[in-house]
Amino acid sequence: MAHILREKGFNTFVIVGGLTAWRKAGEPLESVPKDDLVKLPTFS
Amino acid sequence: MTDMLSILAQHGYVLIFVVLLAEAGGLPFPASIALVAAGAGVASHALWGPSVVFVAIIALLLGDSVQFFLGRYMGWALLGFLCRVSMNPETCILRSAESFYKRGKVTLVISKFIPGVNSMAAPLAGSMKMRFAQFLRLDFLGALLYVSAYLTLGYLSRDFLAATLRSIHLAGRVMEIIVAAALVVYIAYRIVQACKYREYKVVPRVQVQELAARLTSDYPAKVMIVDVRSHGYYDIGAERIKGSIRIEPNNLEVEIKNLPREKDIYLYCT
Repeated sequence: MAHILREKGFNTFVIVGGLTAWRKAGEPLESVPKDDLVKLPTFS
Repeated sequence: MTDMLSILAQHGYVLIFVVLLAEAGGLPFPASIALVAAGAGVASHALWGPSVVFVAIIALLLGDSVQFFLGRYMGWALLGFLCRVSMNPETCILRSAESFYKRGKVTLVISKFIPGVNSMAAPLAGSMKMRFAQFLRLDFLGALLYVSAYLTLGYLSRDFLAATLRSIHLAGRVMEIIVAAALVVYIAYRIVQACKYREYKVVPRVQVQELAARLTSDYPAKVMIVDVRSHGYYDIGAERIKGSIRIEPNNLEVEIKNLPREKDIYLYCT
């Protein structure tokens, strides 16, 4: 995806380690807004 | 055939337990072949049928239960991981969940006969919060059906198996050539892929600390953080980097129109 965005002319970077590294570094997180959550079916 | 039966007589129950446990745990082990061989072992009195059934079912239930609880505690992340090999992970996750919800009970009973589905059924049941007692009941039925079917096949086709083993011996050389050819094709494919990606400009990578420092000075005027995980939006309480937005990788063509060209875009996944 980063490659595609670069090809389209966007100045794109990739965060090394992703969310896991961000969390480990103690940087701020937020809950995913309820409206953004995708509801998948459950048996309960 | 005699060699195989002698091995079965000596280590049969342990072998069956290990192979079936590994397969139920998601490893690519030939459980059905082990059961067919065990069936032949029962026919020639090298093994005792009820013990084989007992050992096989315990191994399957144990492996499946581990997968079930992994699914329960890892939530949709496990399904996301299993769907990573799919061409379209997002669709794989959504379709698998919906399909399993509709036909989950039947799927659990027959899943062991379907390669691919067998490794996803137990974790899906866990992710979708099926009651463990219900899971165990359905999984037991599935395991009983699976074990009985292949043991019976081996039991009934003992003579055929002996002939097949002789043929396999002869066909061994051909198989070696096929495997070697497949290996060459795979390596060539990987080389082509590597060259293809080398054609792209290398995407710069930034450390968390570097970005965090930038956020304190430039944010939000010049920086946009984008979450491109194909899962992570399915569990209540899921988190993301503060201030980030989500772009669904499969919807990139549409989403790209809303991205600001004047900002630096930082992508992250799990």
